[in-house]
Amino acid sequence: MRVMQKSRAKAGGDDAPPAIALPPPAVALYSASVDFGAVKALNQIDLRIEDGEFITILGPSGCGKSTLLRLISDLVPPSAGAMSIFGDSTEAARLARQFAFVFQSAALLPWRTAVQNVRLPLEMGKKMAKKQGRALPVSAQSPEELLEFVGLKGRENAWPHELSGGMQQRVAIARALICKPKLLLMDEPFGALDEMTRDHLNLQLLDIWKKTGVTIVFVTHSIPEAVLLAQKVVMMKSQPGAIKKIIPIDLPAKRKLEMRDTAKFNKYAAQLRKLLGAH
Amino acid sequence: MAHIAKTHRSTFMQIAIPLAVAAALIALWEGGVRFFQVPEYIAPAPSVVLQVFISDFDNLMRNFVPTLIESLLGFTVGTLSAVLIAVAFVHSRFMMEGFFPIAVFVNTIPILAIAPVLVLLFGPGLTAKVVIAALICFFPTLVNMVRGLQSPTPQMMELARILSASHSEIFWKIRFPSSIPFLFSALKIAATTCVIGAIVGEWVGANIGLGALILEATFNFRSPLLYATIFLSSGLSVALFTAVTLAEKWLVKWQN
Ligand SMILES: Nc1ncnc2c1ncn2[C@@H]1O[C@H](COP(=O)(O)OP(=O)(O)OP(=O)(O)O)[C@@H](O)[C@H]1O
Ligand SMILES: [Mg+2]
Repeated sequence: MRVMQKSRAKAGGDDAPPAIALPPPAVALYSASVDFGAVKALNQIDLRIEDGEFITILGPSGCGKSTLLRLISDLVPPSAGAMSIFGDSTEAARLARQFAFVFQSAALLPWRTAVQNVRLPLEMGKKMAKKQGRALPVSAQSPEELLEFVGLKGRENAWPHELSGGMQQRVAIARALICKPKLLLMDEPFGALDEMTRDHLNLQLLDIWKKTGVTIVFVTHSIPEAVLLAQKVVMMKSQPGAIKKIIPIDLPAKRKLEMRDTAKFNKYAAQLRKLLGAH
Repeated sequence: MAHIAKTHRSTFMQIAIPLAVAAALIALWEGGVRFFQVPEYIAPAPSVVLQVFISDFDNLMRNFVPTLIESLLGFTVGTLSAVLIAVAFVHSRFMMEGFFPIAVFVNTIPILAIAPVLVLLFGPGLTAKVVIAALICFFPTLVNMVRGLQSPTPQMMELARILSASHSEIFWKIRFPSSIPFLFSALKIAATTCVIGAIVGEWVGANIGLGALILEATFNFRSPLLYATIFLSSGLSVALFTAVTLAEKWLVKWQN
């Protein structure tokens, strides 16, 4: 499989004429499939995500959204097809810390304070980095500065259980940013939060996206959230998991919460609702 | 401020209420023994027991120290080996599947049945008592520690994989820390049971130690001494339990 990935990644490079050195896409899937035994979780996915894009993924429960993120992040292998992350294999991208993952449950380590949790990625994979003879990428911002960046100044030494769900998720985001990822994979990161907190964190995430230039792939169940954040919404369908449609969202670059009351926004929302309803 | 005062008061009450209840029970016992004129060899009054504590202090201490040493050694050996075997179990399915049933089987043998065998094997000295005390600590620690080492959530393990963590990094940064609260629940059980193990060992074959003193006092109808010995041994359990609890408070700061 790995060999195939590599050869396809190279072949992908041949597609672009050598005269114009286009940057490789952040994510490229070529008819990638994932099977869990008899279950076809993902069936022949073709997807290209450009460097710096903000993509949201919508779809019915069980259609393979999490599996797609886990495929990209080298947690599950493809059972067929090929893929590349910034022109490399997923494994190489993982070893180089090209991407970071944010889970729905913040997945903080309860025995570490907020700032110690943010520091975790710098303490793990050291052996691997040494073996490869390279240093782990590190954000120019210190863990403390990253916590301030996500609005948690003064709570650096709090234990996770002392933080609200939204605060825990912000720590998880700061932790994801510590290795300066080029790709941020987020699986329903705000799914368990109340609407006000979610709105606030959405704006903060847009701010992070703008300031860092990171590519974001964001899975959600909320149609308004998907439209508000995305440049493109990827609508999936289930059984087998596949991409139904990709809808570019043509809203002003600077997103505001009030946009949700505009006719254009609601047209997108209605379109997506219809797609989601009609299986 | 009011909140702080309240928590202070509740910790005060937490200590005061059981102490008051204990004092009341002792007073009731003293009163009952005097009122019904119960013979001393059947149930000595607390005041008599206290007198024995003073008069027989040297004798009690001479027997206390061996039991203390056996308990501490048994606790250390039993819990340490359980932790090491738990680590082996979570790293190797073969070890787990091969040896866990054996551990369960050994645990089902009553300690009173196995104690004479161990005394025969290891002789009447210190070793047999330490082994019995260790054995009694072993199983609860093993079970808890295996559970603790397996307690990290799937997300934590996926995070470790995304960070390309090595086996030792996963063990030291994730598995071991997440097992600590489980380990302490086991250590609390072991802190009290190790004393029982040492005393059982002394019953089977010893002429010194709190277990031996209990038998001696019983056969000589020295009930006040028997009661004093019982209090001393439960005092030892309580002290060890408290030590483990304090260590937990000091080390496990992340839980409320
Ligand atoms: N580890 C696994 N083993 C077996 N089947 C799995 C595994 N992970 C996912 N699946 C199956 O793959 C399909 C897609 O699951 P996935 O978790 O990707 O869905 P999802 O779109 O993220 O759903 P949700 O919106 O509920 O989170 C489901 O049918 C699921 O049962
Ligand atoms: Mg999911």
